[in-house]
Amino acid sequence: MEHNSSGSLTRAAMATGQRTLNKGWRRISAIPLRAWLSYLLARRWLFVAAAVGVILLQLPTPAGLTHEGHIVLVMSVVATILFVTEPIPLPTVALLIIVGEVLLIGLDSSDVARSLMSDSVLFIMGSLMIAVAVVRQKLDRRLAFLIIRFTGTKTANVCMGISLVSGVLASFIGEHTVAAMMLPVGVTLIRLTSEDSRQVRSLAAVLLFSISYGASIAGVGTPSGGARNAIMIGYWREFFYDPANPETWKYAIDYLRWMVFAYPLFLIQVPFVTAVLFYTFKPKQKNIARAVVRLRAQLADQGPMKISDWTTILIFFAILLSWIFLSDGIGLGTVAIFGAAAFLIFGLVEWDEINNGVNWGVVLLYAAVISLGVEMKDTGAALWVAENFLALLKPLGGDSGLGLWAAVIALTTTVTNTMSNGAAVAVLGPIVLNLAVAAGEDPLILGFLTAVASAFAYLTVVGTPACTIVYSSGYLRTTDFLKAGWKMVIVSTILSLIAASAYWPLVV
Amino acid sequence: MERADEKRFRILVCIDGSEESYRGLRYAARLGGGVDADICLLYVRPVDQGLRSGGLQARVVRENLLEWGLELPGTKHLMKGKEILTELGLMSDEWGQKMIHVDKLGDPLGDNSIEYSSEGGKKVTLKLEVAPDIVGGILEECEGGNYDLLIIGASERWNSRSYKTFWDPAVAQKVVTRAHCSVIVARELESGHGHLICTDGTENAIDVARKDAILAARCNCPISLITVVPEDVGETEAADILSRTKSAIEEEGLEVVESLLRTGDPVEGIAKAGADYSVIVIGRSKKRRRWWLFETDISDQILERASNSVMIVR
Repeated sequence: MEHNSSGSLTRAAMATGQRTLNKGWRRISAIPLRAWLSYLLARRWLFVAAAVGVILLQLPTPAGLTHEGHIVLVMSVVATILFVTEPIPLPTVALLIIVGEVLLIGLDSSDVARSLMSDSVLFIMGSLMIAVAVVRQKLDRRLAFLIIRFTGTKTANVCMGISLVSGVLASFIGEHTVAAMMLPVGVTLIRLTSEDSRQVRSLAAVLLFSISYGASIAGVGTPSGGARNAIMIGYWREFFYDPANPETWKYAIDYLRWMVFAYPLFLIQVPFVTAVLFYTFKPKQKNIARAVVRLRAQLADQGPMKISDWTTILIFFAILLSWIFLSDGIGLGTVAIFGAAAFLIFGLVEWDEINNGVNWGVVLLYAAVISLGVEMKDTGAALWVAENFLALLKPLGGDSGLGLWAAVIALTTTVTNTMSNGAAVAVLGPIVLNLAVAAGEDPLILGFLTAVASAFAYLTVVGTPACTIVYSSGYLRTTDFLKAGWKMVIVSTILSLIAASAYWPLVV
Repeated sequence: MERADEKRFRILVCIDGSEESYRGLRYAARLGGGVDADICLLYVRPVDQGLRSGGLQARVVRENLLEWGLELPGTKHLMKGKEILTELGLMSDEWGQKMIHVDKLGDPLGDNSIEYSSEGGKKVTLKLEVAPDIVGGILEECEGGNYDLLIIGASERWNSRSYKTFWDPAVAQKVVTRAHCSVIVARELESGHGHLICTDGTENAIDVARKDAILAARCNCPISLITVVPEDVGETEAADILSRTKSAIEEEGLEVVESLLRTGDPVEGIAKAGADYSVIVIGRSKKRRRWWLFETDISDQILERASNSVMIVR
């Protein structure tokens, strides 16, 4: 009886299961073909990336590469496809990298977790929190007042003033912060000139690109200018620095040393930005006196500086001085985190504002990409790619000196125009540094060239955060980036090569 | 999602600030001029992925702009659309208005809309929506709002016939493929030159012709018919196709001003003849073909080839 009852229960359960399955199948088959097609089209790059990954993993491991190195390389290729095409939310790529490191490479889960957090990641996290805090202080109005007070009303002077101020600020607090602060200044000047956007198209282009390109060229000025700088500093330390070997101490690049290398390059580029923009867009408004006078009137009634304004400036300089004098000992990341904490302690920003203003998924993404970069070095994959890349360059005369430098700039410029500059440095850093070793070049020079060239993302809207932010104003077309961008790439490449051959050897 | 009043004629116009989208809006104003029609202007903003703005949420930038008293790009375009409708006399500043905000995708600005309504019940809605991607946002609004007609500006890229349009179709191209309602793809869209309705004599084509004729009557647009048959098809048979379609339209109490009979390649023939009209009207094939991946609907080919606006009727 018991058996019978159990048997009928099993049959009933099976029948229920069958019915559920049938129902499920009916539902699936009821979905129109068009919806399936839409889903497949929207996710096509995910399938392409997965297919590329599976195919590459099935191929025999190339000579000179370890099995783990093979897997890391395949993971990097798949991650790059997903970065560029974005078929899934980008933080998902970070999650897949973490899972891949444990399941495919066979790393211990705790080791992977440890590799995700480094000083570079702390720095990225801290500087984003500082960015939100600084934007919230509304110092942009005072900055705008300062710019137009000194530049006068000539359009070219205003643009150069905007580029210079955006650049100087961006070199310390990141281009995204500056672009967010300066965009309203640019848009207000445009709107005060004319409400008809067709009348001010060229003027809008020169003003807005002065912000974005000014901030982009300055992003490499100091280590705190962008995540890419902190990532490169982290790679130099990870790959070459040995506390017991004094010969490797030069690879522990501190804040001031970085500035000595990169800051002059930023300053030299500022007048070129204005020249290129005016040559490209030729705005008919040579003087924007009307807009400047009206903006001045708008900004004049701000009243005296408040205590919160002074506190903000004080904290900002405290952070800056700590980066310069203390970061060598306690790390850039610790200073950034402490700076963010200071803004919270003095009540200048609420935690909710920081929490809502920072995209934490990006922090996770950088952490995962840096972790993958370290694995590329540990498994020898980076060296293998570097040696093969060098072999490709040899017949073209690009295996050393100026040819190699130009090839590295071209490679970085291509990659950075398709993904964020931080991700570009995180992906290319291990390869380029190994390339330097294989070619007998100085890893500092090639590392700096990579970091500097990662700012040459002038060609696309998504190239740099500053470009994305100014594009959101609605005044620019995607083709405008190409029009001015290719000229900027040429100017920046020439100036970087001059710096690498004539200036950097003097300060290495 | 709001529930649509099924008796009302609802037009969704996608606004992106381009001249083409405003031309589409002017056309919508003619079609939706009656009190029984509602017009919705839609601007879709893709949700920020974060990495592009360097990890600083785009909302920080937007909020800063708003604090300077500068409106967002979408708002500017939608307000220009409202000004156009007011100039055309379709709406007035005295209409009542209702603002609606919905949090969406964790974006604090979310979906925002302003609904203007006249005493007679006519509605004009401005919608600023956020979506994971622009096409998804348009389609979601189109299906949720139960619209009868969607008007979208054509992309220049569409006409370039490059391989890229297959691999990465333009927004309008994707919307046409996936929308459930009729779609006008606006290219140099100007009223007054009439609708050219394509027919092959099938039940579907006649139904499409009837539906569009009713629509064309809303803007007093003259109706013309065209059929393009292969060389080997007799003239009598072709004339019969036109005559049956014409009768179906006349049964609705509407007049057909001319009937064109052409022979040869239908895509070429229709695109060439259609250049003189405001809109070329064609139905979407109802057949579910086995080789859908390799063949394209004739309507897609006309959309690609035509130099003026095309309406796909569903």
